[in-house]
Amino acid sequence: MAISVKVMRRPEPGRTSYMRATLKGLSLTFKHLLKVDKVTLQYPEDQPELHPRWRGTHRMEVHADGRPKCVACGLCPTVCPANCIRLVGGEDDQGNRYPIVYEIDEFRCIFCGMCQEVCPVEAIHVGRHFENAEYTRDRFVYDLDRLMEQDHPTTLLWDPSDSRSE
Amino acid sequence: MASNGRKADTVTLTIDGREVAVPRGTSLLQAAAALGIEVPHYCYHPGLSAPAQCRICLVEVEGAPKLQPSCVTIAQDGQTVHTDSELARGMRQGVLEFYLVNHPLDCPICDMSGECSLQDYVFAEGRERGRAQEPKRVFGRDDFGGDVLYYGDRCVMCTRCVRFMDEVARDSRLTVVERGDRAVIDTFFDSGLDGASFAGNVVDICPVGALVSKDFLHKARAWDLDHAPSVCPNCSQGCNIELHTRDNLVQRLKPRENPEVNGHWMCDYGRSRYEWMNRTGRIERPAMGRGEERSEADWPGTLEALAARLAGNEGEIAIVASPFCSVEALGALSQLAKEAGEAAAAVFRSPRAGDEDPLPGFPLLVRRRDLAPNVDGARLLGYARTGTDDGSGGLDEVAAHRGVVFVLGDDLNDQPDDFGAAADLFVYLGTFDSPAARNADFVLPVTTFAEEEGTFVNAQRRVQRFGQGLRAPGSARPAWLVLGALLAFLKSGKTPANAAEAFAALADEIPALSGMSHESIGPGGVRLEAAHA
Repeated sequence: MAISVKVMRRPEPGRTSYMRATLKGLSLTFKHLLKVDKVTLQYPEDQPELHPRWRGTHRMEVHADGRPKCVACGLCPTVCPANCIRLVGGEDDQGNRYPIVYEIDEFRCIFCGMCQEVCPVEAIHVGRHFENAEYTRDRFVYDLDRLMEQDHPTTLLWDPSDSRSE
Repeated sequence: MASNGRKADTVTLTIDGREVAVPRGTSLLQAAAALGIEVPHYCYHPGLSAPAQCRICLVEVEGAPKLQPSCVTIAQDGQTVHTDSELARGMRQGVLEFYLVNHPLDCPICDMSGECSLQDYVFAEGRERGRAQEPKRVFGRDDFGGDVLYYGDRCVMCTRCVRFMDEVARDSRLTVVERGDRAVIDTFFDSGLDGASFAGNVVDICPVGALVSKDFLHKARAWDLDHAPSVCPNCSQGCNIELHTRDNLVQRLKPRENPEVNGHWMCDYGRSRYEWMNRTGRIERPAMGRGEERSEADWPGTLEALAARLAGNEGEIAIVASPFCSVEALGALSQLAKEAGEAAAAVFRSPRAGDEDPLPGFPLLVRRRDLAPNVDGARLLGYARTGTDDGSGGLDEVAAHRGVVFVLGDDLNDQPDDFGAAADLFVYLGTFDSPAARNADFVLPVTTFAEEEGTFVNAQRRVQRFGQGLRAPGSARPAWLVLGALLAFLKSGKTPANAAEAFAALADEIPALSGMSHESIGPGGVRLEAAHA
């Protein structure tokens, strides 16, 4: 195949005006000034609305008398793919099995939510919450008291009206 | 059939379409096990009688009018058995549903969870949902005394525990009281299992979480534990055990089956004494120099300095070794002493109990008087017993010895401040920081038996191997490695790379061990006499 050269015909410099194209572009820009559906969120004055299945830092549910609901069954440290939960079980003064030590390293956590899914007593939950900044790294290992103090809403991992996903 | 009219001593039958030949008198359950087919069972246990009352091992035998309990049905020639037919499976599902009528399903807080037969069978074959509408009956828990707790709600009434106490411990302390769904296991008197020296085995044989150990209660989950095959170090019977460890700590001891030593059992004395393996306050770094001059050093520097001292040695050598050390370590030490000079004394001290404690239903298993695992190994390697029955005293001669003193594993807790002060060279190979090490020229950290591989010789003169369950602290090394390295310096030979090599080097030197190796000893051990027969 023979090689051919296409010659573009362009206006010579100084012989044409770009004013029309510039105004066309600017008109689009100014049109957005008047549009009402803004994307920018005025955080922190305005808070984002988190999705119901957002998975953030953990929260331990408590009984009415303030005891943690956890029975130290050991399923969450077993299922945890990041190995971020440390649990030492024991017996309390009423003969109930409970966690003597329950720690979650939120740095290691990958927020998969499997701990919540596997929990047989619905004690540990991931939360709809994202503001976890701290001044020191060690504050990211949440102990049992801290997990019980957290009061943000918890994640809905499944539809409560269809808990078996049927 | 044999042609001479006598019945052949094996029978051939078909189980699930596969033919198997088993000795006459074998039960269908065992015949299936020979094929690798596990028939579910609760009341059957190989160490106990079979009452065929749990009804979960029923299998279909062609020609029989109804399902047969496989644990007591004896295999016949030409039989055809189906363990997994629709009939057998449906029956098992029905039996499991009955078991779950009153079972609390509290697996999350049950210590047996993860090693529970009921959990396994229901998960494999049970119904997805129970159909029982009525509330479950509730008993709560009962303290049986000793180390045993009883959760009546979880019990499947297999009566293994009752039969163990009747048939094996021959100390009938448990029984079934009440009938129907009110039936529970109970003790006859308030003392319960207190003082029964083999009662801990009922926890092992309970197929569900009805009998649990108080010591292990809520401590760890079964699936978190690492299992290391080992030998019980608490008496010279040398029961085969497993160390169950987690987080580099021994959590419990469980018997490992060995029909020639301990069967399926072990005693409570041995079972309860494992805390010392987790003790802290260990010697972690080698050190040189007496008193004020003591300074920590690295292994190569320490060993070279010690080898140089030993090479120029002219004094007689006195040894104090602990019968908690392996054959490899004791043997390497006596070899080293032989290489480095004239032997003055080689002694060991061991606590002794007042009497023996046999298990009546399994006469081979006796809690021996010697409360150390390798007393017979030490004797075999030329060490002599010294001291009193509480494992103290008897070292006056060694304490004032003027030549070389080696102490291996003995804590010397009862010894005076000037122990070894007169010695030209005092080498202390120990595990725990001990005041007795103050006069030592060399302090070498060695591992406990739980942190190394090796062998013990038990009271039956049976050489048994144990495996490593824990990581050693700091730079502690197995004694056979430390002594083997010293020996290599003196003889310009090779340091053994592992315990098997250390044993092989010893087998060449010691006639009683000749021809034996770690491989030939195997997981079950070999008697010294049998090895040479």
